[in-house]
Amino acid sequence: MPAFLTAGRLRAAAVAVVAVVLVLLPLVSSPYVNYQVTTMAVFAVALLGLNVVMGYAGQVSLGQSAFVGIGAYVAGYGTLNGWPVLLSFVVACLLPAVVGMLVALAAARLRGLALAMVTIALPIVGTPVAKRLSDVTGGSQGLTVSWLEPPSWVALADDQWRYYVVVLIALGVFLLTRNLVRGRVGRSFAIVRDNEAVALSMGISPYRTKVLAFTLASTIGGASGFLYLAVVQYTSPETLSFGTSINLVVAMVIGGTGSLVGAVLGAVYYVLVPVLAGQLDASRTALLSGAVLLLVLFVLPGGLVSLPRRVHQLLTARRRRSATTPPGAPDGQAGTPALTSDGVAP
Amino acid sequence: MKSLQHPRRLSSAVALFGVCALLVTGCTRDTGTTGGGTEGGAAAASPGITDTTVSLGISSPLSGATAGPGTCSVAGLNSYLEAKNAAGGFAFGDGKTRQVTLTYLDDAYDPAKAVANFRQLVNQGMFAYVGALGTPTNAAVMPIANQQEVPQVLLMAGAGEFSADQAANPWTSGFVPTYSTEGAAFGKLLVDANQPITVATLAQNDDYGSGYLDGFTAAIEGSQVRVVDSATYEPTDTSVDGQVTQLAASGADVLLSAVSVTPLQVGVLTKAQSLGWKPRVFLPSNTSTPATVLQPGGAAAYPDVYTPAFAKTPASPAFANDPDVQEYTKAFEQYGTSITKTYTPHCAWSYAEGAVLGEAFATMEEPTRESFMTALRGISGFTAPLLLPGITIDTTKEDQAAVSSVNLVRYNGTGYEPVQGY
Repeated sequence: MPAFLTAGRLRAAAVAVVAVVLVLLPLVSSPYVNYQVTTMAVFAVALLGLNVVMGYAGQVSLGQSAFVGIGAYVAGYGTLNGWPVLLSFVVACLLPAVVGMLVALAAARLRGLALAMVTIALPIVGTPVAKRLSDVTGGSQGLTVSWLEPPSWVALADDQWRYYVVVLIALGVFLLTRNLVRGRVGRSFAIVRDNEAVALSMGISPYRTKVLAFTLASTIGGASGFLYLAVVQYTSPETLSFGTSINLVVAMVIGGTGSLVGAVLGAVYYVLVPVLAGQLDASRTALLSGAVLLLVLFVLPGGLVSLPRRVHQLLTARRRRSATTPPGAPDGQAGTPALTSDGVAP
Repeated sequence: MKSLQHPRRLSSAVALFGVCALLVTGCTRDTGTTGGGTEGGAAAASPGITDTTVSLGISSPLSGATAGPGTCSVAGLNSYLEAKNAAGGFAFGDGKTRQVTLTYLDDAYDPAKAVANFRQLVNQGMFAYVGALGTPTNAAVMPIANQQEVPQVLLMAGAGEFSADQAANPWTSGFVPTYSTEGAAFGKLLVDANQPITVATLAQNDDYGSGYLDGFTAAIEGSQVRVVDSATYEPTDTSVDGQVTQLAASGADVLLSAVSVTPLQVGVLTKAQSLGWKPRVFLPSNTSTPATVLQPGGAAAYPDVYTPAFAKTPASPAFANDPDVQEYTKAFEQYGTSITKTYTPHCAWSYAEGAVLGEAFATMEEPTRESFMTALRGISGFTAPLLLPGITIDTTKEDQAAVSSVNLVRYNGTGYEPVQGY
């Protein structure tokens, strides 16, 4: 490898390229592409929340769609009742956080499958409740809004403006979460995930840590719900549905658990694969998506995020056989195998 | 080593994402320019229409729990359009003959995917969005279609909102009768009997159920028909046995079962007769297919099972010699069976919908979306193929779907036959 290609410079160059692409993309592409990329940002945030609780803290959550749905409904209700956008955003994060915390206070006493069952209840209860509270939620016809139009001093189309707003908020959420999982909280998550007894002996309460992880996940889920409404301009009980939760878990595993980049890749998968499958054969999208899922898990058990590492390993294996860390060794940040055993079993 | 490894992986992954994003842009812009090319063909023409072709789009649930009706909403339409294309094409009001292409996408009943599909179709140069199935998915598309002034028409959704306010949503129209139209038709049947009748109602606890109840209640107002007990259920319920047991205690003469979930409707029919309660039963049009609901539910045990209908059932022996049905069967075998494997009434409905589109094309004078909408809103008294005698298409009514009346039919043990009163 040439000397000027140090890791630091490569990284800086990559970040610069991505930044330029992210800024220029909406200006040169069609509204459809902008919509799709913005949707990716929305689901990247939802997956990030799921990653906090499942990837970093190792607790099974099958109810993320409920928090996305609550966030979307709060944003929709706020918009229809003329709340300031900022207030909508804050409440869209806070209400799911409170719901998530209340559930976690009870559920975090459980482990493994029992915990998973409690989290399943959220979307299953949430969908009919959303239909019943039709004064607030618009019943099964949902809430249609028309908001987040560009202010008059900005010469941007709707889709471009929404793209920038959503991507900016998503970047902010990612940055905050990155700092969080790399700090003291992140370390306590990792210990609770790996061994609760050790955590306890170090003075870390597994119970409080799990409640915190769930609360954070639901807060981030709520934020993504707000963004969902900004993009789709519509929400209905379908947003909360259990199927969405499962698809989110699948996308997270595909992207790579316990990884920020994995959340982004998972979102790309979540949005892109149905589109590609639809272009191949619209009658068999479920089949094709399933095939892609199996393929990715067979070839890359660590998720898409492990692809560069796998390639890197293959390229450098010969030269640095003595120096490299063993393949798959956890480095505390990313690329830990999907669904570690303590994530599903007590 | 570790400190080096992480940033490199991060940067590579980020770069990968960037490449993906560019790839998406690249791919789609290609198709975008193709769409623009068609546009350039005739200066005044709307996107998606040339002198020889017009492209239509539809997004329906082709996978998941609603896949049966969803695939049928595409298969029937595709059969009509392709058969007509093969016979030379559609004659338009501007004197030209065009071939119609239909692009269909799967939204799995997910509103976000439906919006994405709609935008994709518009991007690919779609002239009009037709016949999509699903209330939440169409509700999500409606504001965008009206904002972009793209026709979103002849929807396969019975919710009133798609037909209720034409002033607010001039680019949207429904095709199938609304739920309240169906409920009202049944109420009228009971009122016409002119005798005291007691009714028990079971309804889905949302606007689907309330649509039926509202229509029914309005129709029986001031008559001798009385609702003696009512119950609701959630679509996510796995059983309605409790509700049926409660209603059976009322011993009502008639059960109005506004249940949209096929297994639950079967459960209603089996549970009521196991309790010894055998009322006359009214079923909504989308859960009244003999093979999937009535036979498994043992519907023959009831004195009468009614359902609203506006189209002929192609599989029914009663229509075996009907020329419409024969033509439908021929087209469907060729162009529909690759899209769907199961028959729901939506197959026949969307076939009829294809004919309504043809009728609109025939009177549209300019190759524009505005002209198409004007033509589509001006159809009255049109007898589309497969419609039952007495049912016609009327798109001129302000607050109704294209099919605004239904006939009631009665189950005779194998299929349906027309009703001669209560």
